Amino acid sequence: MTWRGAVAIARKDLAIEWRTKTAFMSSLVFAVLVLAVLFFARDATAVSAFDMAPGVLWVTFTFAGMLGLNRAFLVERENRSLDGLRLSPATPTAIFLGKVAGNIVFVGVVELVSLPLFVLFYDVAIWRQVPLLIGVIAMATVAFVAVGTLLSAMVVRTRFSEVMLPVLLLPFLVPPIVSAVQLTWRILADRPLAEMTGWLSLLGSFDIVFFILSLLLFDAIITE
Amino acid sequence: MHASSDPLIVATDVSWRVGYRWIVRQVSTTVSAGEVLLLVGGNGTGKTSLIRLVAGLVRPTKGAIQRRAEVGMVAHHTMLYDALTAHENLAFVARLHGVDPARPVELLNRMGLAKAIDQRIATFSRGMLQRLAIARALLHEPRVLLLDEPLSGLDDAGSRVVVGLLEELRDQGCAVVIATHQLVELLDVATDIGFMAAGKMVEHAPVAGRDAGQVVNRYRALLEEGQ
Repeated sequence: MTWRGAVAIARKDLAIEWRTKTAFMSSLVFAVLVLAVLFFARDATAVSAFDMAPGVLWVTFTFAGMLGLNRAFLVERENRSLDGLRLSPATPTAIFLGKVAGNIVFVGVVELVSLPLFVLFYDVAIWRQVPLLIGVIAMATVAFVAVGTLLSAMVVRTRFSEVMLPVLLLPFLVPPIVSAVQLTWRILADRPLAEMTGWLSLLGSFDIVFFILSLLLFDAIITE
Repeated sequence: MHASSDPLIVATDVSWRVGYRWIVRQVSTTVSAGEVLLLVGGNGTGKTSLIRLVAGLVRPTKGAIQRRAEVGMVAHHTMLYDALTAHENLAFVARLHGVDPARPVELLNRMGLAKAIDQRIATFSRGMLQRLAIARALLHEPRVLLLDEPLSGLDDAGSRVVVGLLEELRDQGCAVVIATHQLVELLDVATDIGFMAAGKMVEHAPVAGRDAGQVVNRYRALLEEGQ
Protein backbone atom coordinates (compact mmCIF):
# COMPACT_ATOMS: atom_id res chain seq x y z
CA MET A 1 0.00 0.00 0.00
CA THR A 2 2.81 2.40 0.84
CA TRP A 3 4.22 2.40 -2.69
CA ARG A 4 0.83 2.41 -4.40
CA GLY A 5 -0.27 5.33 -2.21
CA ALA A 6 2.98 7.22 -2.71
CA VAL A 7 2.82 6.80 -6.50
CA ALA A 8 -0.84 7.89 -6.59
CA ILE A 9 -0.08 11.01 -4.52
CA ALA A 10 2.97 11.96 -6.61
CA ARG A 11 1.01 11.45 -9.85
CA LYS A 12 -1.85 13.57 -8.54
CA ASP A 13 0.47 16.40 -7.45
CA LEU A 14 2.25 16.42 -10.81
CA ALA A 15 -1.07 16.33 -12.69
CA ILE A 16 -2.24 19.39 -10.74
CA GLU A 17 1.05 21.20 -11.41
CA TRP A 18 1.00 20.22 -15.09
CA ARG A 19 -2.49 21.70 -15.38
CA THR A 20 -1.90 24.92 -13.45
CA LYS A 21 1.86 25.44 -14.01
CA THR A 22 1.79 28.24 -11.45
CA ALA A 23 4.66 27.06 -9.25
CA PHE A 24 6.73 25.84 -12.21
CA MET A 25 6.47 29.11 -14.09
CA SER A 26 7.31 31.19 -11.00
CA SER A 27 10.31 28.97 -10.21
CA LEU A 28 11.57 29.09 -13.77
CA VAL A 29 11.21 32.85 -14.14
CA PHE A 30 12.94 33.26 -10.76
CA ALA A 31 15.82 30.97 -11.84
CA VAL A 32 16.39 32.87 -15.10
CA LEU A 33 16.30 36.20 -13.26
CA VAL A 34 18.83 35.11 -10.61
CA LEU A 35 21.20 33.70 -13.24
CA ALA A 36 21.01 36.87 -15.33
CA VAL A 37 21.11 39.42 -12.50
CA LEU A 38 24.09 37.84 -10.75
CA PHE A 39 25.94 37.49 -14.05
CA PHE A 40 25.52 41.15 -14.96
CA ALA A 41 26.05 42.38 -11.40
CA ARG A 42 29.67 41.20 -11.18
CA ASP A 43 32.72 43.27 -12.12
CA ALA A 44 34.16 41.16 -14.94
CA THR A 45 37.66 42.57 -14.38
CA ALA A 46 37.68 41.59 -10.68
CA VAL A 47 35.67 38.34 -10.47
CA SER A 48 35.64 35.71 -13.18
CA ALA A 49 32.35 34.07 -14.10
CA PHE A 50 33.93 30.72 -13.28
CA ASP A 51 34.66 31.72 -9.67
CA MET A 52 31.07 32.78 -9.13
CA ALA A 53 29.46 29.92 -11.00
CA PRO A 54 29.11 27.24 -8.25
CA GLY A 55 27.59 29.69 -5.75
CA VAL A 56 25.23 31.14 -8.35
CA LEU A 57 24.11 27.67 -9.42
CA TRP A 58 23.14 26.65 -5.88
CA VAL A 59 21.53 29.97 -4.96
CA THR A 60 19.41 29.56 -8.10
CA PHE A 61 18.46 25.93 -7.42
CA THR A 62 17.75 26.52 -3.73
CA PHE A 63 15.53 29.56 -4.02
CA ALA A 64 13.78 28.49 -7.22
CA GLY A 65 13.08 25.07 -5.68
CA MET A 66 11.81 26.62 -2.48
CA LEU A 67 9.09 28.43 -4.39
CA GLY A 68 7.74 25.06 -5.43
CA LEU A 69 8.00 23.28 -2.09
CA ASN A 70 5.20 25.32 -0.54
CA ARG A 71 2.87 24.24 -3.33
CA ALA A 72 2.99 20.58 -2.25
CA PHE A 73 0.90 21.18 0.85
CA LEU A 74 -0.93 24.32 -0.26
CA VAL A 75 -2.93 22.11 -2.65
CA GLU A 76 -3.89 19.96 0.33
CA ARG A 77 -4.97 23.00 2.34
CA GLU A 78 -7.33 24.31 -0.34
CA ASN A 79 -10.34 22.15 0.53
CA ARG A 80 -8.74 20.41 3.52
CA SER A 81 -7.78 17.60 1.16
CA LEU A 82 -5.12 16.47 3.62
CA ASP A 83 -8.00 15.18 5.78
CA GLY A 84 -9.03 13.07 2.79
CA LEU A 85 -5.53 11.63 2.52
CA ARG A 86 -5.46 10.89 6.25
CA LEU A 87 -8.82 9.11 6.04
CA SER A 88 -7.53 6.92 3.22
CA PRO A 89 -5.43 3.78 3.72
CA ALA A 90 -2.36 5.80 2.66
CA THR A 91 0.01 5.75 5.62
CA PRO A 92 1.89 8.91 6.70
CA THR A 93 4.96 7.24 5.18
CA ALA A 94 3.15 6.91 1.83
CA ILE A 95 1.99 10.54 1.99
CA PHE A 96 5.53 11.73 2.78
CA LEU A 97 7.13 9.60 0.07
CA GLY A 98 4.53 10.71 -2.48
CA LYS A 99 5.08 14.36 -1.64
CA VAL A 100 8.87 13.95 -1.74
CA ALA A 101 8.68 12.15 -5.10
CA GLY A 102 6.45 14.86 -6.57
CA ASN A 103 8.75 17.58 -5.23
CA ILE A 104 11.88 15.84 -6.55
CA VAL A 105 10.37 15.67 -10.05
CA PHE A 106 9.28 19.32 -9.79
CA VAL A 107 12.66 20.61 -8.53
CA GLY A 108 14.45 18.26 -10.97
CA VAL A 109 12.62 19.75 -13.96
CA VAL A 110 13.41 23.30 -12.76
CA GLU A 111 17.09 22.28 -12.41
CA LEU A 112 17.08 20.57 -15.79
CA VAL A 113 15.82 23.73 -17.50
CA SER A 114 18.10 26.06 -15.49
CA LEU A 115 21.31 24.07 -16.04
CA PRO A 116 21.72 24.84 -19.78
CA LEU A 117 21.00 28.52 -19.04
CA PHE A 118 23.69 28.42 -16.35
CA VAL A 119 26.17 26.91 -18.84
CA LEU A 120 25.22 29.57 -21.39
CA PHE A 121 25.61 32.54 -19.01
CA TYR A 122 28.72 31.39 -17.13
CA ASP A 123 30.44 29.62 -20.01
CA VAL A 124 31.50 26.63 -17.92
CA ALA A 125 32.46 23.33 -19.50
CA ILE A 126 30.41 20.73 -17.70
CA TRP A 127 30.13 18.17 -20.49
CA ARG A 128 33.08 15.98 -19.44
CA GLN A 129 31.78 15.90 -15.86
CA VAL A 130 28.06 15.61 -16.47
CA PRO A 131 27.48 12.28 -14.61
CA LEU A 132 29.33 13.49 -11.51
CA LEU A 133 27.63 16.88 -11.55
CA ILE A 134 24.19 15.27 -12.00
CA GLY A 135 25.01 12.95 -9.08
CA VAL A 136 25.86 15.87 -6.80
CA ILE A 137 22.75 17.79 -7.92
CA ALA A 138 20.62 14.71 -7.23
CA MET A 139 22.13 14.20 -3.76
CA ALA A 140 21.68 17.83 -2.74
CA THR A 141 18.16 17.88 -4.20
CA VAL A 142 17.12 14.86 -2.11
CA ALA A 143 18.42 16.55 1.07
CA PHE A 144 16.76 19.83 0.19
CA VAL A 145 13.41 18.27 -0.75
CA ALA A 146 13.21 15.84 2.21
CA VAL A 147 13.63 18.59 4.81
CA GLY A 148 11.60 21.08 2.73
CA THR A 149 8.66 18.67 2.43
CA LEU A 150 8.58 18.09 6.19
CA LEU A 151 8.76 21.80 6.96
CA SER A 152 6.19 22.75 4.33
CA ALA A 153 3.75 20.27 5.98
CA MET A 154 4.53 21.99 9.27
CA VAL A 155 4.04 25.60 8.12
CA VAL A 156 1.08 25.07 5.79
CA ARG A 157 -1.41 25.60 8.63
CA THR A 158 0.15 28.94 9.53
CA ARG A 159 -1.05 32.20 8.04
CA PHE A 160 2.27 33.14 6.47
CA SER A 161 3.48 29.79 5.21
CA GLU A 162 5.24 31.30 2.16
CA VAL A 163 7.39 33.42 4.49
CA MET A 164 7.82 30.81 7.21
CA LEU A 165 9.18 28.07 4.97
CA PRO A 166 12.42 29.84 3.92
CA VAL A 167 12.98 31.11 7.47
CA LEU A 168 12.82 27.58 8.88
CA LEU A 169 14.37 25.74 5.94
CA LEU A 170 17.46 27.79 5.15
CA PRO A 171 19.39 27.03 8.39
CA PHE A 172 18.93 23.29 7.72
CA LEU A 173 20.21 23.72 4.19
CA VAL A 174 23.61 25.15 5.14
CA PRO A 175 25.43 21.77 5.30
CA PRO A 176 24.07 20.29 2.03
CA ILE A 177 24.32 23.53 0.07
CA VAL A 178 27.87 24.28 1.25
CA SER A 179 28.83 20.69 0.35
CA ALA A 180 27.15 21.03 -3.04
CA VAL A 181 28.93 24.34 -3.77
CA GLN A 182 32.31 22.87 -2.79
CA LEU A 183 31.71 19.77 -4.89
CA THR A 184 30.47 21.79 -7.89
CA TRP A 185 33.56 24.01 -7.76
CA ARG A 186 35.83 20.94 -7.74
CA ILE A 187 33.88 19.28 -10.54
CA LEU A 188 33.99 22.39 -12.74
CA ALA A 189 37.75 22.80 -12.00
CA ASP A 190 38.27 19.16 -13.00
CA ARG A 191 39.83 18.27 -9.64
CA PRO A 192 40.49 14.60 -8.78
CA LEU A 193 37.75 12.61 -7.06
CA ALA A 194 39.97 12.11 -3.99
CA GLU A 195 39.54 15.83 -3.20
CA MET A 196 35.78 15.43 -3.10
CA THR A 197 35.26 12.41 -0.87
CA GLY A 198 34.96 14.42 2.36
CA TRP A 199 32.24 16.67 0.96
CA LEU A 200 30.53 13.71 -0.71
CA SER A 201 30.46 11.91 2.64
CA LEU A 202 28.99 14.94 4.37
CA LEU A 203 26.30 15.33 1.70
CA GLY A 204 25.54 11.59 1.74
CA SER A 205 25.28 11.54 5.53
CA PHE A 206 22.98 14.55 5.52
CA ASP A 207 20.77 12.80 2.93
CA ILE A 208 20.46 9.63 4.99
CA VAL A 209 20.02 11.24 8.41
CA PHE A 210 17.60 13.97 7.37
CA PHE A 211 15.56 11.74 5.07
CA ILE A 212 15.01 9.22 7.86
CA LEU A 213 14.34 11.94 10.47
CA SER A 214 11.83 13.68 8.20
CA LEU A 215 10.08 10.38 7.52
CA LEU A 216 9.84 9.59 11.24
CA LEU A 217 8.62 13.06 12.23
CA PHE A 218 6.05 13.41 9.44
CA ASP A 219 3.27 11.49 11.25
CA ALA A 220 3.47 13.81 14.26
CA ILE A 221 3.48 16.87 11.99
CA ILE A 222 0.30 16.01 10.08
CA THR A 223 -1.67 14.81 13.11
CA GLU A 224 -3.76 17.44 14.88
CA MET B 1 -34.30 -1.31 9.28
CA HIS B 2 -31.57 -3.67 10.34
CA ALA B 3 -30.16 -2.10 13.48
CA SER B 4 -28.11 -4.79 15.23
CA SER B 5 -26.16 -4.93 18.44
CA ASP B 6 -22.91 -5.03 16.47
CA PRO B 7 -21.34 -1.67 17.42
CA LEU B 8 -19.13 -0.25 14.69
CA ILE B 9 -18.30 2.93 16.63
CA VAL B 10 -17.67 2.92 20.37
CA ALA B 11 -16.84 6.25 22.03
CA THR B 12 -15.96 6.03 25.71
CA ASP B 13 -15.85 9.18 27.80
CA VAL B 14 -14.37 11.22 24.95
CA SER B 15 -13.26 14.79 25.64
CA TRP B 16 -11.27 17.14 23.42
CA ARG B 17 -9.64 20.38 24.41
CA VAL B 18 -8.15 23.16 22.30
CA GLY B 19 -5.98 25.37 24.50
CA TYR B 20 -7.97 25.83 27.70
CA ARG B 21 -11.35 25.35 26.06
CA TRP B 22 -13.14 22.01 26.15
CA ILE B 23 -14.82 21.55 22.78
CA VAL B 24 -16.19 18.05 23.45
CA ARG B 25 -16.89 16.82 26.98
CA GLN B 26 -17.26 13.26 28.21
CA VAL B 27 -19.20 11.85 25.28
CA SER B 28 -19.91 8.13 25.49
CA THR B 29 -21.94 6.51 22.76
CA THR B 30 -22.11 3.54 20.42
CA VAL B 31 -23.38 3.35 16.88
CA SER B 32 -24.19 -0.11 15.60
CA ALA B 33 -24.61 -1.55 12.15
CA GLY B 34 -27.89 -0.34 10.67
CA GLU B 35 -28.11 2.68 12.98
CA VAL B 36 -28.30 6.27 11.80
CA LEU B 37 -27.48 8.71 14.59
CA LEU B 38 -28.49 12.33 14.01
CA LEU B 39 -26.36 14.79 15.98
CA VAL B 40 -28.26 18.00 16.50
CA GLY B 41 -27.60 21.16 18.48
CA GLY B 42 -26.77 24.81 18.00
CA ASN B 43 -23.61 26.21 16.44
CA GLY B 44 -20.46 25.56 18.44
CA THR B 45 -21.91 22.70 20.45
CA GLY B 46 -19.24 20.24 19.30
CA LYS B 47 -21.04 18.31 16.53
CA THR B 48 -18.35 18.79 13.88
CA SER B 49 -15.59 18.19 16.41
CA LEU B 50 -17.22 14.94 17.51
CA ILE B 51 -17.43 13.82 13.86
CA ARG B 52 -13.71 14.63 13.39
CA LEU B 53 -12.85 12.75 16.57
CA VAL B 54 -14.81 9.70 15.44
CA ALA B 55 -13.11 9.87 12.03
CA GLY B 56 -9.72 9.84 13.74
CA LEU B 57 -8.70 13.21 12.29
CA VAL B 58 -8.07 14.58 15.77
CA ARG B 59 -6.98 12.70 18.87
CA PRO B 60 -9.18 12.89 21.95
CA THR B 61 -7.60 14.62 24.96
CA LYS B 62 -9.31 12.05 27.20
CA GLY B 63 -11.22 8.86 26.52
CA ALA B 64 -11.07 6.52 23.54
CA ILE B 65 -12.80 5.87 20.25
CA GLN B 66 -12.94 2.51 18.55
CA ARG B 67 -13.77 2.26 14.88
CA ARG B 68 -14.45 -1.30 13.85
CA ALA B 69 -14.82 -0.76 10.10
CA GLU B 70 -13.57 1.49 7.32
CA VAL B 71 -14.76 5.08 7.54
CA GLY B 72 -16.14 7.38 4.83
CA MET B 73 -16.63 11.05 5.61
CA VAL B 74 -18.34 14.11 4.19
CA ALA B 75 -17.07 17.26 5.90
CA HIS B 76 -17.71 21.00 5.62
CA HIS B 77 -14.82 21.10 3.17
CA THR B 78 -15.03 18.88 0.13
CA MET B 79 -11.53 17.33 0.45
CA LEU B 80 -11.36 17.54 -3.37
CA TYR B 81 -8.84 19.15 -5.74
CA ASP B 82 -10.13 22.14 -7.73
CA ALA B 83 -7.65 21.68 -10.59
CA LEU B 84 -8.79 18.12 -11.30
CA THR B 85 -11.96 16.92 -13.01
CA ALA B 86 -14.72 15.07 -11.15
CA HIS B 87 -13.51 11.75 -12.56
CA GLU B 88 -9.83 12.47 -11.82
CA ASN B 89 -10.70 13.32 -8.21
CA LEU B 90 -12.57 10.07 -7.69
CA ALA B 91 -10.01 8.03 -9.67
CA PHE B 92 -7.29 9.32 -7.32
CA VAL B 93 -9.27 8.27 -4.25
CA ALA B 94 -10.04 4.92 -5.92
CA ARG B 95 -6.30 4.32 -6.43
CA LEU B 96 -5.58 5.12 -2.78
CA HIS B 97 -8.24 2.67 -1.63
CA GLY B 98 -7.41 0.08 -4.28
CA VAL B 99 -11.00 -0.11 -5.52
CA ASP B 100 -12.23 -1.08 -8.99
CA PRO B 101 -11.36 1.72 -11.48
CA ALA B 102 -14.92 1.48 -12.85
CA ARG B 103 -16.43 2.48 -9.50
CA PRO B 104 -15.93 6.28 -9.91
CA VAL B 105 -18.01 6.34 -13.11
CA GLU B 106 -20.71 4.23 -11.47
CA LEU B 107 -20.93 6.64 -8.51
CA LEU B 108 -20.82 9.76 -10.66
CA ASN B 109 -23.81 8.40 -12.60
CA ARG B 110 -25.58 7.57 -9.35
CA MET B 111 -25.05 11.09 -8.00
CA GLY B 112 -26.34 12.70 -11.21
CA LEU B 113 -22.94 14.02 -12.26
CA ALA B 114 -22.52 11.96 -15.45
CA LYS B 115 -22.57 15.04 -17.69
CA ALA B 116 -19.89 16.78 -15.63
CA ILE B 117 -17.55 13.80 -15.43
CA ASP B 118 -14.70 15.49 -17.32
CA GLN B 119 -15.35 18.98 -16.03
CA ARG B 120 -12.87 20.62 -13.65
CA ILE B 121 -14.55 20.90 -10.30
CA ALA B 122 -13.48 24.55 -9.94
CA THR B 123 -16.46 25.24 -12.22
CA PHE B 124 -18.94 23.21 -10.10
CA SER B 125 -21.81 24.72 -8.13
CA ARG B 126 -21.99 24.17 -4.35
CA GLY B 127 -24.62 21.46 -4.83
CA MET B 128 -22.53 19.60 -7.42
CA LEU B 129 -19.50 19.75 -5.13
CA GLN B 130 -21.57 18.34 -2.27
CA ARG B 131 -22.77 15.46 -4.43
CA LEU B 132 -19.19 14.77 -5.52
CA ALA B 133 -18.00 14.89 -1.90
CA ILE B 134 -20.66 12.31 -1.01
CA ALA B 135 -19.54 10.13 -3.94
CA ARG B 136 -15.97 10.45 -2.67
CA ALA B 137 -17.01 9.25 0.78
CA LEU B 138 -18.89 6.23 -0.63
CA LEU B 139 -16.23 5.16 -3.13
CA HIS B 140 -14.67 2.42 -1.01
CA GLU B 141 -18.03 1.20 0.35
CA PRO B 142 -17.30 2.04 3.99
CA ARG B 143 -19.44 0.49 6.73
CA VAL B 144 -19.10 3.61 8.86
CA LEU B 145 -20.24 6.88 7.33
CA LEU B 146 -19.74 10.27 9.00
CA LEU B 147 -21.61 13.17 7.45
CA ASP B 148 -21.35 16.80 8.46
CA GLU B 149 -24.30 18.73 7.02
CA PRO B 150 -24.77 16.35 4.06
CA LEU B 151 -27.71 18.30 2.61
CA SER B 152 -25.88 21.62 2.62
CA GLY B 153 -26.12 23.33 -0.76
CA LEU B 154 -28.37 20.67 -2.27
CA ASP B 155 -31.63 21.45 -4.04
CA ASP B 156 -34.78 19.35 -3.42
CA ALA B 157 -33.87 16.78 -6.06
CA GLY B 158 -30.31 16.48 -4.73
CA SER B 159 -31.59 16.15 -1.16
CA ARG B 160 -33.97 13.38 -2.21
CA VAL B 161 -31.12 11.47 -3.89
CA VAL B 162 -28.98 11.73 -0.74
CA VAL B 163 -31.81 10.80 1.65
CA GLY B 164 -32.62 7.78 -0.55
CA LEU B 165 -28.98 6.78 -0.51
CA LEU B 166 -28.81 7.05 3.27
CA GLU B 167 -31.89 4.83 3.62
CA GLU B 168 -30.19 2.25 1.41
CA LEU B 169 -26.97 2.40 3.42
CA ARG B 170 -28.87 2.03 6.69
CA ASP B 171 -30.74 -0.99 5.33
CA GLN B 172 -27.45 -2.52 4.15
CA GLY B 173 -26.13 -2.36 7.70
CA CYS B 174 -23.91 0.70 7.65
CA ALA B 175 -23.44 2.78 10.80
CA VAL B 176 -24.10 6.42 9.96
CA VAL B 177 -23.52 9.55 12.05
CA ILE B 178 -24.96 12.80 10.70
CA ALA B 179 -24.36 16.25 12.17
CA THR B 180 -27.10 18.51 10.89
CA HIS B 181 -29.40 21.44 11.39
CA GLN B 182 -31.76 20.04 8.74
CA LEU B 183 -33.48 17.84 11.24
CA VAL B 184 -36.87 17.51 9.57
CA GLU B 185 -35.47 16.36 6.22
CA LEU B 186 -33.34 13.67 7.84
CA LEU B 187 -35.59 12.49 10.64
CA ASP B 188 -37.17 9.71 8.58
CA VAL B 189 -33.77 8.15 7.91
CA ALA B 190 -32.60 8.36 11.53
CA THR B 191 -32.85 5.56 14.04
CA ASP B 192 -31.34 7.59 16.91
CA ILE B 193 -30.94 11.19 17.82
CA GLY B 194 -28.23 12.78 19.93
CA PHE B 195 -28.77 16.28 21.29
CA MET B 196 -25.56 18.25 21.77
CA ALA B 197 -25.13 21.25 24.06
CA ALA B 198 -21.88 22.86 25.23
CA GLY B 199 -19.78 19.94 23.97
CA LYS B 200 -21.86 17.29 25.76
CA MET B 201 -24.30 14.79 24.36
CA VAL B 202 -27.12 15.69 26.71
CA GLU B 203 -29.50 13.07 25.34
CA HIS B 204 -29.14 10.04 23.09
CA ALA B 205 -32.42 8.31 22.39
CA PRO B 206 -34.13 6.26 19.68
CA VAL B 207 -36.28 8.18 17.22
CA ALA B 208 -38.98 5.47 17.18
CA GLY B 209 -42.02 6.51 19.17
CA ARG B 210 -41.32 10.23 18.89
CA ASP B 211 -43.07 12.41 16.39
CA ALA B 212 -41.25 15.08 14.43
CA GLY B 213 -42.93 17.83 16.43
CA GLN B 214 -41.51 16.55 19.73
CA VAL B 215 -38.01 16.29 18.30
CA VAL B 216 -38.14 19.74 16.75
CA ASN B 217 -39.44 21.25 20.00
CA ARG B 218 -36.61 19.65 21.99
CA TYR B 219 -34.10 20.97 19.41
CA ARG B 220 -35.55 24.48 19.64
CA ALA B 221 -35.49 24.35 23.44
CA LEU B 222 -31.79 23.44 23.31
CA LEU B 223 -31.05 26.29 20.91
CA GLU B 224 -32.80 28.73 23.24
CA GLU B 225 -30.88 27.39 26.26
CA GLY B 226 -27.65 27.88 24.31
CA GLN B 227 -28.44 31.52 23.67
